[in-house]
Amino acid sequence: MKGSYLGEFEEIVLLIVAMLEDDAYGVRITHEIIEQTQRSVRLNQVHASLHRLEEKGMIVSKFGEPTQERGGRRKRIFTITAFGRTTLNEMKEVRSRLWSLLPSTMKIEGI
Amino acid sequence: MKREHSRISPPGWATRLLQWYCASHLLEEVQGDLEEEFEYQVNRHGIAKARIDYIRNVLGFIKPFAIKRKKSPYANSSSGMNMFNHYVTVAFRNVVRQKSFSAINVAGLALGMTCCLFIFLWVRDEKAMDNFHANGDRLFLLYQTVSGNGQTTGSYSTPFNVIFNLRKDSAATDALDELALAIPELEMTSAYMTGYELPWGHPETFQVGEKMQKFKGSRAGKDFFNMFSYPILAGNPDKALHDVSSMAISRSMAEYFFDSPEQAIGKSMRYENRLDFVVNAVYENVAPQSSWQFDFLLNWDAQLRTLDFPSHQIYTSFLLDGNADPKQVEVKLNQFLQRRVDPKAPEKVSLGLRPFGDQYLYGNFVNGKPREGRMLYVKIFTGVAIFILIIACINFMNLATARSLKRAREVGVRKVVGSSRSSLIRQFFGESILLSFVALSVSVILLQLLLPLFNDLTGKHITSPIFNPVYWYAALSLAFITGLIAGSYPALYLSSLKPVRILRGALTFTHSAVWFRKGLVCFQFALSILLLIATIVITSQTNFVQNTNLGYNRDNVVYIQIEGELNPKYALFKERALKMPGIAMVDRSTEAPHGMGFVVDEKDGFNETNTGDDAINWEGKKNVSVGFKPASVGYDFVNIMNLEIVEGRGFSKSFATDSADAFMVNEEALRQMGMTDPIGKWISAWNKKGHIIGVLKDYHVSSLREPIKPLLIDVKEYEYFGVIMLRLEQGKTAEGLSSIERVCKEINPNYPVAFQFMDEEYNKLYHSEQVVTKLTNTFAVLGFVISCLGLLGLAMFTAEQRTKEIGIRKVLGATIVSIVNLLSKDFIILVAIAFGVAAPVGGYFMSQWLQGFAYRIDMGWWIFAIAGITALSIALITISIQAIQSAITSPVKSLRSE
Repeated sequence: MKGSYLGEFEEIVLLIVAMLEDDAYGVRITHEIIEQTQRSVRLNQVHASLHRLEEKGMIVSKFGEPTQERGGRRKRIFTITAFGRTTLNEMKEVRSRLWSLLPSTMKIEGI
Repeated sequence: MKREHSRISPPGWATRLLQWYCASHLLEEVQGDLEEEFEYQVNRHGIAKARIDYIRNVLGFIKPFAIKRKKSPYANSSSGMNMFNHYVTVAFRNVVRQKSFSAINVAGLALGMTCCLFIFLWVRDEKAMDNFHANGDRLFLLYQTVSGNGQTTGSYSTPFNVIFNLRKDSAATDALDELALAIPELEMTSAYMTGYELPWGHPETFQVGEKMQKFKGSRAGKDFFNMFSYPILAGNPDKALHDVSSMAISRSMAEYFFDSPEQAIGKSMRYENRLDFVVNAVYENVAPQSSWQFDFLLNWDAQLRTLDFPSHQIYTSFLLDGNADPKQVEVKLNQFLQRRVDPKAPEKVSLGLRPFGDQYLYGNFVNGKPREGRMLYVKIFTGVAIFILIIACINFMNLATARSLKRAREVGVRKVVGSSRSSLIRQFFGESILLSFVALSVSVILLQLLLPLFNDLTGKHITSPIFNPVYWYAALSLAFITGLIAGSYPALYLSSLKPVRILRGALTFTHSAVWFRKGLVCFQFALSILLLIATIVITSQTNFVQNTNLGYNRDNVVYIQIEGELNPKYALFKERALKMPGIAMVDRSTEAPHGMGFVVDEKDGFNETNTGDDAINWEGKKNVSVGFKPASVGYDFVNIMNLEIVEGRGFSKSFATDSADAFMVNEEALRQMGMTDPIGKWISAWNKKGHIIGVLKDYHVSSLREPIKPLLIDVKEYEYFGVIMLRLEQGKTAEGLSSIERVCKEINPNYPVAFQFMDEEYNKLYHSEQVVTKLTNTFAVLGFVISCLGLLGLAMFTAEQRTKEIGIRKVLGATIVSIVNLLSKDFIILVAIAFGVAAPVGGYFMSQWLQGFAYRIDMGWWIFAIAGITALSIALITISIQAIQSAITSPVKSLRSE
């Protein structure tokens, strides 16, 4: 099914969008990713990901209020769609099922 | 403030870069994020690091998703736009990859277009002649058709006192006034006659105070300025020519005498040291678009009452009522005429009307009606323009066809990838139109540079058309049409190729495609050869006309107008002049001998002799009509002109009777009069009766367009008009001229000295032929250049196609000569075929053209031989350039790699 595939980075972005709820926009998402994952992420990478996610229908966007530190420009606020949430759930289920099927030695090491 | 601002803001150039590449629907969001991040970085790491970070971010956003523009619901499709860019790129690459091919293409097209644009300008200028009058659609010019003696002739010249058969003394009551009363549809009428043209006209002298100068002027009716649109600068158009003493002068004449047009009004001017005229109006200098050229205008009544007739060319024009039907007016004019002419007259005269604007383009009469004239040249050159453009287009097609071998693969791939035929057609048309626009810009520049040369060549005054929108429409549509024609073959042929065939292996041309290409080359060479034949014939006819033995010696002969004191003091003048250095002989004639325009026949003399008899009569005259050219000359006329006497003797002072009793005729006159043994027989001209004392060998008294006419000369050294001829001593021209000037100033101080060289004036009779010669020469050269460019292109292609073959042949021992032969043979056959087609066609057309001359060259085989050999050698040289180059290329190079 087209668009049901999510890359690793996309998955993280999508999770962060879901997490941030009404405050999910470019800069905030980037900072959150850096904070949560300790990766060095650039703004343009996040934007590109958001763009793809929107194309795949996992998120939708609308313009927020303009703020001072943005030179009076509006933010684009992203919200996760039902399809995005389902996809995340499916992925989580697939993973936990796979984890449950692992031999016990691996499980212990993994934990 | 500024500094403060720049300190905390991100680098400006990076922002501008972002604004430039980023799609507009994303810009707000992206720029906002970047700025927020910048603020955040400033707070955390300081300005310097924040700036670097900002720049990295801006550069990082150069990604397809940010650049790609959002699809507008109104635009056709963004992918179409991309394809367009792609086509432009491909076209550009093709141009660059094959530089010489492209240069040939563009050069050929540009040359063709330049010719077309020039011809367009010329044709437009020709058509504008006499068409600038505001009342143009209601202005008509009268012409007469005269039939009799099995001949029908016609002319725009309508001398009323002759055709309405008025007595000489009643000529003062203008027949035109009567006509206007009789036919109410004639709103205004005006006669017009130049004062400076042959047979008796000359520039006339005006004097104001100390200033004295000759001007070329005319006479016209009083409504002239209300009928025609010659703009009045000062004075009242209604009163400009309202009485016998009024005159109108041009701006330049007003500025010469009175400094400004306004100051000229009401001033009096001395005319020919005998009459005074008052300036009532000043008009703008007559534009070159007017056939009628005049520095001043005198009143028509003054012409009838007080002036000498300078010409028998009198034009009559009418301004018709808005509702009048010209056909009806013609009928009424003829009714008016028939009531007045003698029904027993041997010749029938009828009148016709022609729109005024037609007189320039339709100046020749066929069967008594105005037919062609300059219009023929306009048509010919329009044809030439189209020819040259076709040749240029053919080159383009030919090259494109030849190159199609390379392009075919591209077409195949495009088709496989899914390109439709229509988009391929569009692509190829686009390419050719692009190239033709490049060619257009080249030719517009060329046109600008060559315009002065062109004006010089044609004697026109065409101004640069850069600011004329009509010119741009013409130029742009020309480029567009050229592009379409030139691109049609590649577009339609290449797009039709089957991809399977193209991609499977090397594409070979079908027989029909090969024949098509050869046919095109053949066709354009045929056209060029046609032009060349025309050039040779026209040039040699013009040379013939200018160098033919006219029967008299016109070299070193200068003539001056008889005016003022020159006639009463002629004897003194002659005596004085002969003593001066550089002057060999002096004599006089009532008409300049190289261009005698006056013809007299029955109807002219009818009312002008006391006896009511014919103007010219002779012993044993039967009922024949002979059109004589009469002239009165001095005693030395035969000597100064170097004429040959075949019978009898010339005029001589030693015979007392010669001044009153002697006539000489030419052989043609004897033939037409049917007279044998002429010496001593009587002949009369008007009221003078005398005897024939000698017969002159026929000589040309006018241009070679007309046959030699019967000539009748007598001695009259007292006529107030005509010219004085002076033969200068060989090699002493400057001395002779200054002598003339000194004698004239002494004897005739009230007139400025003005002289003309007879040979120059004779050559001026062929002005239009000279122009046509120059133009056809130019076009033939251009035609050849363009077709050679085409041939060269084709030869280059053939050589390229056969690179391997030539290499192998050389390895196997072929000589350079044999390879050049191999490459040239095909083309030479084509040129030969082209010659076979062009020669008879050219022969036919040129013999038609020569019919316009009573004396003409024979179209010998040598004309065709020259044309053929020239075409062949030009073709050979062209091909050899390429053939030799590929023949001497080392086979190692051509065979080295795939």
